[in-house]
Amino acid sequence: MNQEVTIIGGGLAGCEAAYQIAKQGIKVKLYEMKPTKFSEAHSNENLAEIVCSNSFKSNLHTNACGLLKEELRLLDSLLIKCADETSVPAGQALAVDREEFAKLVTKKIKENPNIEIINQEYTGEGLCIGNSEERIVNGEKYENIMIVATGPLTSDTLAKNISRLTGEDRLYFYDAAAPIVSKESIDMNIAFYRKPL
Amino acid sequence: MPFTGNRYDQERGKEEEIEDWEKRLGSQEASYINLPMNKEEYETFYKELVSAEVVTLHEFEKREIFEGCMPIEIMAKRGEDTLRFGPLKPVGFTDPRTTRRPYAVVQLRQDDVNGTIYNLVGFQTNLKYGEQKRVFSHIPGLANAEFVKYGVMHRNTYINSSELLDNTYCLKKNPNIYFAGQITGVEGYVESISSGMVVGLNVVNKLQGKEKIEFPKNTMIGALANYIATPNEKFQPMNANFGILPELGERIKDKKVKYGKLADRAIEALNAIK
Repeated sequence: MNQEVTIIGGGLAGCEAAYQIAKQGIKVKLYEMKPTKFSEAHSNENLAEIVCSNSFKSNLHTNACGLLKEELRLLDSLLIKCADETSVPAGQALAVDREEFAKLVTKKIKENPNIEIINQEYTGEGLCIGNSEERIVNGEKYENIMIVATGPLTSDTLAKNISRLTGEDRLYFYDAAAPIVSKESIDMNIAFYRKPL
Repeated sequence: MPFTGNRYDQERGKEEEIEDWEKRLGSQEASYINLPMNKEEYETFYKELVSAEVVTLHEFEKREIFEGCMPIEIMAKRGEDTLRFGPLKPVGFTDPRTTRRPYAVVQLRQDDVNGTIYNLVGFQTNLKYGEQKRVFSHIPGLANAEFVKYGVMHRNTYINSSELLDNTYCLKKNPNIYFAGQITGVEGYVESISSGMVVGLNVVNKLQGKEKIEFPKNTMIGALANYIATPNEKFQPMNANFGILPELGERIKDKKVKYGKLADRAIEALNAIK
């Protein structure tokens, strides 16, 4: 039987899963609704666009998130590798240049011959419970595995279909992102010219 | 007014001479910009912050807000000193002007490779844009700050994984459907990547007819996957943290030593199954 994996959402989780699967020679269809449709927080065409902060937190062995990154590096994570390669100085933390990070991930996914990126919204009518999904295409049988990696800003239609699939009615709540200022507008004069006592 | 250096490395040591401290600061990488506040400056800022106008307050106020991503104005309303013990805590800093610990510190973190833009650490907010400019201008050093991007509130969508998924993020009701990323209730970038990794490896094994990969509970990647799949009436998004790892079996008071041992054990367990 032919095998194919459909991944919905080209964010951090979707891209990592796509890479790990494609690496083993399995075909992946990666659905990403950008740039045909944007969520209220996303604004560019790249995959793996991060919006809340540019920090992947601590790199220290004695920090929980640092440990998790260490584990992921051992497992050959594409995304952590891209973050390492596009990092900006942040002391013990791993912070990245968002633009460079997203561009690099997009390039790596795009150039992978086993991954096909489909830039359209996947609304999820096909999500169902029951026997393993099999499709016949041109007389060939396909076993289709689906990964829903649509993130905190899952589109409304898909969210409704996920609700139907899982039998839950409440799916979301709210949280927030921090503002960004330009460095040149920060008053650095005194710090530069007044020496510490 | 602002000074650079990251928390804990910037602070002047108890025995350290001022000259040595200055020299050490000069050699440090300038990754964070720190804006120290004295008591009066903090109090002025605080008053403006808690009385500022927010967007669609009635809409989200009653909803659950994840602690790690709580708007600063909501955190501030818990008490006048809450911010000084949270994102504005001055521990680890010495104000170059006074060589003393400031009353509070606002940290700015470099946001791009060129170091031209900085984000306000911990300042996720739902204040109206005009109010953000007005209120945050009370922070010393930001009087004329240009806001490249304002803070915004956003929706977070996640399923009740504690009931729906197994510890490979696979839907119990249909083994051909997996969930990955924040929709599963893992919170954070690295946590999302970690769930994508678990799902990717498991899908490969499934298609190759092999057994599923359950990461050991004493690894962080396994602990998160298990946390997500464990029945929990008050299921909430979860970050990586040492609290979700099984205990060591020996009592260690020093947290750093303890975390070091937990981390060593995790790496060892992961290497053993690789």
